Amino acid sequence: MKIAVCIKRVPDMDVRFKIGANGTSVDEAGLKFDISDFDGYAVEAALQIKEKANAGEVVVISLGADNVQETLRKAMSMGADRAVQLKHDAPVFDSFAIATALAAEISTGGYDLVMFGRMSIDTANQATGTMVAELLGLPILTAISKLDFDGGKAKARRELEGSYELIECPLPAVVTIDEGIARPRYPSLKGIMAAKKKPLETKPAQVGEQSYTLDKMELPAERAAGRIVGEGKDAVPELVRLLKEEAKVL
Amino acid sequence: MSDGHVLFTIIFVCALGFFAANIQRLIGELQLGHTDDSRWNDLPTRFGNFLRIGIFQEKIFRDSIAGPMHAAIFWGFGILTLGTIEFLIGGVIPGFSFQPFFLAPVYAFFALNQDVWAALVIAAVGMALFRRLTKRVKRLQGAETHPNDPLLILSWIASLMITMFAYEAFEMVAHPDTMTPMLRPISFGVAMAFSWMSPSAATVAHDLAWWAHGLLVLGFLNYLPYSKHLHVVASLPNVFLSNTSGPGQKGVMKPMDLEGDLEVFGAKDVTDLSWKSLLDGFACTECGRCTSVCPAHTTGKLLSPRKIMINVRERLESYAHAADKSTVADRTLLDGYITEEELWSCTSCGACVQECPVSIDQLSVIMELRRNLVLGESRFPAEVMPAFESMEQRGSPWAFDPGDRGKWAEGMNIPTMAEMTERGERPEVLYWVGCMGSFDDRAKKTTVAFAQIMQASGVKFAILGQEEKCNGDPARRMGNEYLYQMLAKDNIETLDKYGVRTIVTACPHCFHQIGNEFPQLGGNYDVVHHSTFIESLLEQGRVPIVQELHGPVRTFTYHDSCYLGRYNDVYDAPRETLRRALPVMNLVEMPRSKDKGLCCGAGGGRMFMEETVGKRINVERAEEALATGADAIAVACPFCMTMMADSVKSRNANVEVYDIAEVVAGQLRA
Amino acid sequence: MSNIFAFAETRGGELRRAALEAVTAARQTADQVGGEVRVLIAGAPGIAVHAAKLAAHGADMVLVVEHEAFTHYNPEALAATLAAGLASNYRAAFFSASAQGKDLAPRVAAKLKVALASDVTEFAFSGDAVVAKHPGYTGKIVQTLTLKATPAIISLRPGAVLPKESPKAGTVQNIPSAGDPAASRVVVTDTVVGGGAKLDLGEAPVIISGGRGLKEAANFALVEDLAAAFGNAAVGATRAVTDEGWRPHSDQIGQTGRLVSPDLYVACGISGAIQHLAGMRTSKTIVAINKDKEAPIFKIADYGIVGDVLEILPVLTAAVKTAKQGA
Repeated sequence: MKIAVCIKRVPDMDVRFKIGANGTSVDEAGLKFDISDFDGYAVEAALQIKEKANAGEVVVISLGADNVQETLRKAMSMGADRAVQLKHDAPVFDSFAIATALAAEISTGGYDLVMFGRMSIDTANQATGTMVAELLGLPILTAISKLDFDGGKAKARRELEGSYELIECPLPAVVTIDEGIARPRYPSLKGIMAAKKKPLETKPAQVGEQSYTLDKMELPAERAAGRIVGEGKDAVPELVRLLKEEAKVL
Repeated sequence: MSDGHVLFTIIFVCALGFFAANIQRLIGELQLGHTDDSRWNDLPTRFGNFLRIGIFQEKIFRDSIAGPMHAAIFWGFGILTLGTIEFLIGGVIPGFSFQPFFLAPVYAFFALNQDVWAALVIAAVGMALFRRLTKRVKRLQGAETHPNDPLLILSWIASLMITMFAYEAFEMVAHPDTMTPMLRPISFGVAMAFSWMSPSAATVAHDLAWWAHGLLVLGFLNYLPYSKHLHVVASLPNVFLSNTSGPGQKGVMKPMDLEGDLEVFGAKDVTDLSWKSLLDGFACTECGRCTSVCPAHTTGKLLSPRKIMINVRERLESYAHAADKSTVADRTLLDGYITEEELWSCTSCGACVQECPVSIDQLSVIMELRRNLVLGESRFPAEVMPAFESMEQRGSPWAFDPGDRGKWAEGMNIPTMAEMTERGERPEVLYWVGCMGSFDDRAKKTTVAFAQIMQASGVKFAILGQEEKCNGDPARRMGNEYLYQMLAKDNIETLDKYGVRTIVTACPHCFHQIGNEFPQLGGNYDVVHHSTFIESLLEQGRVPIVQELHGPVRTFTYHDSCYLGRYNDVYDAPRETLRRALPVMNLVEMPRSKDKGLCCGAGGGRMFMEETVGKRINVERAEEALATGADAIAVACPFCMTMMADSVKSRNANVEVYDIAEVVAGQLRA
Repeated sequence: MSNIFAFAETRGGELRRAALEAVTAARQTADQVGGEVRVLIAGAPGIAVHAAKLAAHGADMVLVVEHEAFTHYNPEALAATLAAGLASNYRAAFFSASAQGKDLAPRVAAKLKVALASDVTEFAFSGDAVVAKHPGYTGKIVQTLTLKATPAIISLRPGAVLPKESPKAGTVQNIPSAGDPAASRVVVTDTVVGGGAKLDLGEAPVIISGGRGLKEAANFALVEDLAAAFGNAAVGATRAVTDEGWRPHSDQIGQTGRLVSPDLYVACGISGAIQHLAGMRTSKTIVAINKDKEAPIFKIADYGIVGDVLEILPVLTAAVKTAKQGA
């Protein structure tokens, strides 16, 4: 199976962010970058599909400035075969514009399966993958937590709120991956060294017109400080009183 | 020359030839390993080790029963070898003796010693056989050992001694006029028991005993290469060539060059180990002292350092003997002999290395295999992955915000290196806090306590604050050399940017890593552990403490940190610090203390792994500490602090665990 | 004049709260910028029965698509139908950023060749554009964006808009699906609703959540008891607990699980790891029960009790029951 996986370079999320000088990005000082979490699951799922079939190719694609090459190399150190950088130095927030650029590249590839993480963990729009499918005219299954193949069809499970759907579509198709499908493997040094030699192609990105702009990033309002009501079960009556009279949730 | 002598000469030459061929084969096997660092440097230290550990059996005596027993056999062997040489030459050249070559008293001393030591050897061998056959000594047992080998060898040695006495005695009976009772009193005593024999019968008996002895000697020599008693040949060279007691710093992991095109990372098979590790395999006598002090093994895990070394030798011989090397790849050392489970149980405490009487480095084999697992195949316990990822992404094995690193110092007016540099100042010393000291709630108290001590003592110090990153010790110990070098290089860059020369730290792992292993990557700093630092401050009288001479007498026991103690020989400074801070204090030692101290269980990256088999190491140690009756436990390491505090709590004991800095800070004048 | 659209989400033939949130948002917008509120609802024949409720929340017109093929979620047919309808005469279209909405809205937007603003917590129409706020970076950053496309496709974070009644005509109009809905390539073969009449985490005004501090799976019964005492509460869990298998993955609240915003969140035996906070920090009132007074959860909680959660929960449950009876 020829599989394309679209990945995004995002900063590590377990830090306290500061807003950058221009107000529309995070301050990158001291930040470490990696493959966006859900994209990582997608890469891992793709590698497992290839390994199970003992055949196929996994190509990773990313849109961005030259610094995404490091992220593409990371995916290749996990086992992806080759990478394509769609070069675009300025950040793009318009999912449709991004989808246009990705679709243009993917359409030339003859892929059986196109995979995305269900959303990028930074901008969190959860739209790009779906839009790429629409542009390519391919069926898409979003936010799936299980994926199987049966007679030319992709069969998947989507988690809903407190329930789930069993969903299927014919191949070729696009899928976006939710958590639960696979834990991304830790690249061995062997993989890291091999990745240095794998092919990475850079092409200009054909980003469309942008009707969505990011005006500003800010930190969420601080919650007012709370308080410890008391210790042990003796504090319960006071808590119930506060919930009733102060918070008015009881 | 009589027929007998001709025959003996032929046999002797054949035996020597056969032995030489075996030695050549063994050397060939050693050459299958990698080249190693120079083992010929610092000859004075090496000779010192050779004498202390080898000739004077320093480590052998750590076992108070088997120690003297083995020393008797070893020294006896050395001395008797001289007699054996005389014997063998006498077999070739009829009537040969050393006597004409030496002054009479010298020869008399020589002959007397032959007899005395032979008797001591028989006694020691008898004791050894008794121990093995009746006492069921735990460390002598183990599935990996070859139990019949030692019984054979001990009996063989006994036979050698007996046949020696026999031919000496029968010679005396056969030629009573040439008897020299003063020279060989014991042989004389035996001769007296056979004085009823006729000279001709005695001559026959003598010849039989003589031939028996000769064949046994040559046979023994040639049996060695096939037995664990190869250690007779290998151990003294091994002690000389080993680095486990110096030269250089103990416990330093082998450097690894990651730049070149590496075929194999670490070691998968014996051919990936250094020739020195292979020699270690030859030197191993299966005594089991290493395994008997291994914290993993003694709490029920599969790991046995002895088994690691026996496996190295077994695999080496199997590999060398295989005619077709391609089929041999099926059963590599890693996986074929040594399992992942064994390798991951190791806490890198170094007890095995400390204990080994022939200076074997078991730990280095374990570490090379770990490097292969992680760098070559990304095979490691799943719970370790978040630690690796966090070190890579956030510079700390735990998912704390790197921005919180200096937060413990809020309100204490402690400058960062950046701030000091901006003011054009330089500190006396850089206080390296470490990840635990920066983020762990309990360890932060130690951090604050030590900072208070320094401030009260007027020490001008700075911290790196957010510029500090994990020194990489957990990554390196778990085999992830790539991640380690990345972190270490970043830290070296930061330290060098500020021209840091002197560092003090409260964490033995940081202490060992920065002081002893950073030089491999070009980082050279003088690093002091806080126990040594505080002790010297106390000695200089710089610390304004109130020494309470009245008041309740507390009983403390101090738990030695492996990376401070065995790795760096710092045993006294923490104890002295406690005594100076609390003059009226009863310091009791645990049965396993100082260089016999039991690990807390957190080293070697084990802090980040689950312990699912057997008894928890930290519980084992807590029980030992509580059994001393102490009402307080002192530590000098944040890992030990966590492990001991947890296990003591799990035993529902009302005993507090303190870092020595906290004890001292508690005595600071308000 | 351009109209304002809202999509009425259903599952298993029932109207979901998400539908009412979208209609309310559309109504508020229409009241401000003018135009009619038109709501589309699709389902198996009989789905039109919900039109009255949609009208009560402000729908001027309810467009009903009834066909067997809409018994389960039918994304391709829905997207095609919506795109065809929204192509002209609409200023904006509101969806919920529910699981279904997050699948559907981008399809529609792509067909219309426009971007969308998803998972929006606040929005304002100003001139030709919509300015919206949308949390990102696991809830650590609030992004303010401007959407200039027409129609402006907006999916709302569940819980961001409080459904409000504003009765309007709600004229029902049956419209056909675009194309043959039975010919969709993407087919949902089964929809399995969660066990029992379990209240969903995204819908519940109160969430009682349990973590490692509960010590073992069986103790979750205490959490369930408290939820039952409230009557309108759902039960959530931390990742530590779902990883252990004590609760299903779908119960996980956190950075990589559900993001929730209830009126009241009670964290039982939860330490407050960053990843968990990312999932519930926007809750209106947070209560924490933990035996470690240094636990990070207390920094975000409005009210906290330090103590053994296993001891406190039964007492709290009894107190809540009493309070509810008295109320």
